Amino acid sequence: MIEDIVESLKSGNLTPEDYVEKTYEKIERVEKLIHSFITIRNRQEIIDEVKKNISKKYGKLAGILIAIKDNISTLGIRTTCASKILEDYIPPYDATVIEKLKSEGAVIIGKTNMDEFAMGSTTETSYFGPTKNPWDLERTPGGSSGGSGAVLASGIVELALGSDTGGSIRAPAAFNGVFGLKPSYGTVSRYGLIAYANSLEQIGPMAKNAEDLELLYDVIAGEDWRDATSININKNEYKRDGSSKVDLKNIKIAVLKDIVEASEKPVTSAFNEILDKLVSEGVSIDYIEFKLAEYALPAYYIIAMSEASSNLARFDGVRYGYSAHHDGIWKDTYGKNRGEGFGIEVKRRIMLGSFILSAGYYEQYYIKALKVRRLIKDEIDRILKQYDFIASPTMPIIPPKLGEVVGDPLKMYAMDLNTVIANLAGVPALSQPIGFYNNLPIGLQLMGSYLSDYRLINISKNIEKISKYYNLTANI
Amino acid sequence: MKIKIDESYLSKLEQLALIRLKNEEKDKISNDLQRIIDFFEKINELELKDVEPLFHPISSGKLRKDEPLKPLNRDEALQNVKRKENGYIVGPRTYGE
Repeated sequence: MIEDIVESLKSGNLTPEDYVEKTYEKIERVEKLIHSFITIRNRQEIIDEVKKNISKKYGKLAGILIAIKDNISTLGIRTTCASKILEDYIPPYDATVIEKLKSEGAVIIGKTNMDEFAMGSTTETSYFGPTKNPWDLERTPGGSSGGSGAVLASGIVELALGSDTGGSIRAPAAFNGVFGLKPSYGTVSRYGLIAYANSLEQIGPMAKNAEDLELLYDVIAGEDWRDATSININKNEYKRDGSSKVDLKNIKIAVLKDIVEASEKPVTSAFNEILDKLVSEGVSIDYIEFKLAEYALPAYYIIAMSEASSNLARFDGVRYGYSAHHDGIWKDTYGKNRGEGFGIEVKRRIMLGSFILSAGYYEQYYIKALKVRRLIKDEIDRILKQYDFIASPTMPIIPPKLGEVVGDPLKMYAMDLNTVIANLAGVPALSQPIGFYNNLPIGLQLMGSYLSDYRLINISKNIEKISKYYNLTANI
Repeated sequence: MKIKIDESYLSKLEQLALIRLKNEEKDKISNDLQRIIDFFEKINELELKDVEPLFHPISSGKLRKDEPLKPLNRDEALQNVKRKENGYIVGPRTYGE
């Protein structure tokens, strides 16, 4: 538990040297196997920073080492988005979440590997090479926050930040046997997150148990004047009024039947097992049909790619980023820089986004996808008026082997079937481990109504007590 | 209106997206784009005439106060620029062939 580490550091039971040395020993041993980081900071710098931060009187994360996904801007620390186009980019400012972490005494140990520009579900589209799943090195850790999932599963650190556009926190949480929250849209500032699809994505916490997940969410959530889409929630009042408390005896959960049916057998077995346990604790469960499931994926990808084509227009190699060509008119210069700087998945998505938004197709695809989004949001809101939570497996499959899906975009996109719904609707969703199949973790996803993040974390605390699946570390 | 991604359409998309593909990528990308667009066709099965599009999960945006703020200084702002002269960015030509 993070609180215990903070206490040990403050009381002197754990010296900064021991804490940091132990972490770096682990990195030296496992990093060459899993490749979870793109950038790791200098050991001595980290020791000095931990020492400095624990000498301050307050700080919920005083001296705690945290790993940050490499699409979140960190002042003075290389931030690449796992792309050749930003290979040597050093941000001149911190993202708001990083400022918040620093003000609570956290120490950034490094930047984690990810799918290039967060586009992917396996961390194999990274320009720096794939991350491997610590539970099985032949398999993917999920994506796009795969590096953040793998640093937790391998036991390097206890906390990490990811970002989730269509499941990019929850997929690696499920495949690595850790906890991940895609927060309610607007509760965590996106200032300093290198944008991919801004109406869908949120920065979110990843941890090894629900309590640490709550602590990290608590630190990063809050309104930010620099992000016009961030909202004002009074966290203390929200927690004090008791609405976040969960008593399993009075909880009603809806299970999306069609989504469960689309999942692989080992996944549904683990899912049904946890449902049985919840029922025996007094939870009431109904199976309902979510008739829009088959439309969610195309609608999601149309919206995400459209936003991507606009957001990634800034990468032209002139103000920052990869720049090898200067001859010719601007269109040639940009075209060559972008053609060489982006990987194939990013090119696919930008080109599709350009197509969707072009004259003649805007109404046919983009506007229609936004209409589907409205239907999905209305349906999710309707279900969540009748039920406390919506449950499904996080991922429909067990972690695939490296190379198994990355070459086929439609196969890769299909992995996101269960997770994209929460991003389209803006509601919070959490993934936690509930079982294993052949030593591979399986995750449960719970969605809650808008702004029910603390309540979601609270039911997660109840479930981890029942399932006993928390603080898991792969034997690596 | 079903679209066929052929060589000339791919070249149009390269222009629109400002991405010059490598020759060895063209067949693969063209084939992938076609399959993905066909997959997108699914949403055309739904009757959506009377549905309002939802652009954003939060309906209301907000503005910040119209007050001057301290920006990055010039050196900080230009620290990642590859080609610069006298504190200015050297950009590509904007006219001509």
